[in-house]
Amino acid sequence: MIYFDSAATTLQKPAAVAQAGVRAIRTCASPGRGGHRPAMLAADVAYRCRELAGALLGVSEPERVVFTMNATHGLNIAIQSLVKPGDVVVTSGWEHNAVTRPLHALGAQVRVAAGPMFDQTAALAAFDALLTPETACAVCTQCSNVFGMVLPVAGVARLCRERGIPLIVDAAQSAGVLSVDLDAWGADYVAMPGHKGLYGPQGTGLLLCGRNAAPRPILQGGTGSASMDQDMPRFLPDALEAGTHNITGVAGLLEGLRYVVRKGPDAILNHERKLLALAHSGLSQMPGVEVFAASAPEDQAGVLSFRVHGMDCEEVGQWLGDHGVAVRAGLHCAPQAHASGGTLDTGTVRLSFSAFNTLGEVERFLDLAERMCRRK
Amino acid sequence: MVYYLIICRSLTYAQRTAAVLERVGITAHILRAPRAIAGEGCSHGVRISPRRLAEALTVLGRAGLTPRRVFLLAGDGSYQEVRL
Repeated sequence: MIYFDSAATTLQKPAAVAQAGVRAIRTCASPGRGGHRPAMLAADVAYRCRELAGALLGVSEPERVVFTMNATHGLNIAIQSLVKPGDVVVTSGWEHNAVTRPLHALGAQVRVAAGPMFDQTAALAAFDALLTPETACAVCTQCSNVFGMVLPVAGVARLCRERGIPLIVDAAQSAGVLSVDLDAWGADYVAMPGHKGLYGPQGTGLLLCGRNAAPRPILQGGTGSASMDQDMPRFLPDALEAGTHNITGVAGLLEGLRYVVRKGPDAILNHERKLLALAHSGLSQMPGVEVFAASAPEDQAGVLSFRVHGMDCEEVGQWLGDHGVAVRAGLHCAPQAHASGGTLDTGTVRLSFSAFNTLGEVERFLDLAERMCRRK
Repeated sequence: MVYYLIICRSLTYAQRTAAVLERVGITAHILRAPRAIAGEGCSHGVRISPRRLAEALTVLGRAGLTPRRVFLLAGDGSYQEVRL
């Protein structure tokens, strides 16, 4: 199987990830729930994971690295902490349902900073025009999960800082590949999964909290701290970590983070861009295939969408799956991004890469794609 | 054995406190705080040798981790709070 669905979850992980999970399930108890060795071992794993994530992602204090179940969990906490019903919220035109659904549920007035695909300058100008004194909050993905379009998050963060507007960044597709720097951005929250570009197990995620963030827990319960108080602790990470931790997942995530740090996000990004360029070049020569690729490589990361004239995207996905290539077809839980890209009616087929994919795999995929196009 | 216990508001703060101290060579162990001195219930503390308290407080102050409370614990289980 050639696995090109890493934007959903990376299937291939460093061997140390699974080994750490197995070790943790045998040796780690619950952090903060006892002074015995298994509890302290679990606490040590959790702390090392926070510390390394903080170093990689620009968070100077480990307590501001909060464990979540996934990026969606973190985004829900962030949005519910900053947005009240009726508030004006500015988003990019490329957001995932993990952002748009919580905003819809809260009854926020969403204003979309729209712009053409792969045009970071236009995206920044759109934010510049919409970020006004009545804006309660801005939410921006760093990289579209459908098209791999890179958004100018550092620029949006600067605008937000200058105007005193809280910022939430969705780093679901960018963490581990693009530069994420919470403290430099001055963002209030950055949410990400642990199981994509950070190569941890499914069921892990991180929410990075800004220095002045005042998060509202969406889950209440035991934290192993301040137990007499019936209000949740206000201090991080306890405020947002009620209940027993997924310590086996955290142990795996720690190894995933070590892998990313060892390899270097820039090296992973460059590798994925080579794969993307080869796939783009091959697909664009096939008759009836429309590929969504940036003209400047820095505007796209790790994800390439295409569609085939005369074939439903799900049919393409199924055919490729049946022939040993895992891709994702449809709307990718991001109808807003498809609307912005003009593909809402058809959906697309998405290739998404990881550090474990090779140029040879892309070549084999291109051979298959050519066969598929010939037979239609 | 007599030792000082630096009370921290959470396990993560205790871990950060211990990491900062260990980095400058001060041996630090994380413990559950005795119930009698864990004011709000369930807290953690960092145990250090009596000889290193002054140095530890200086290091922690520099790192922005000024302790909330510090106790002197004796081998018989008695304790007294240290005025900072």
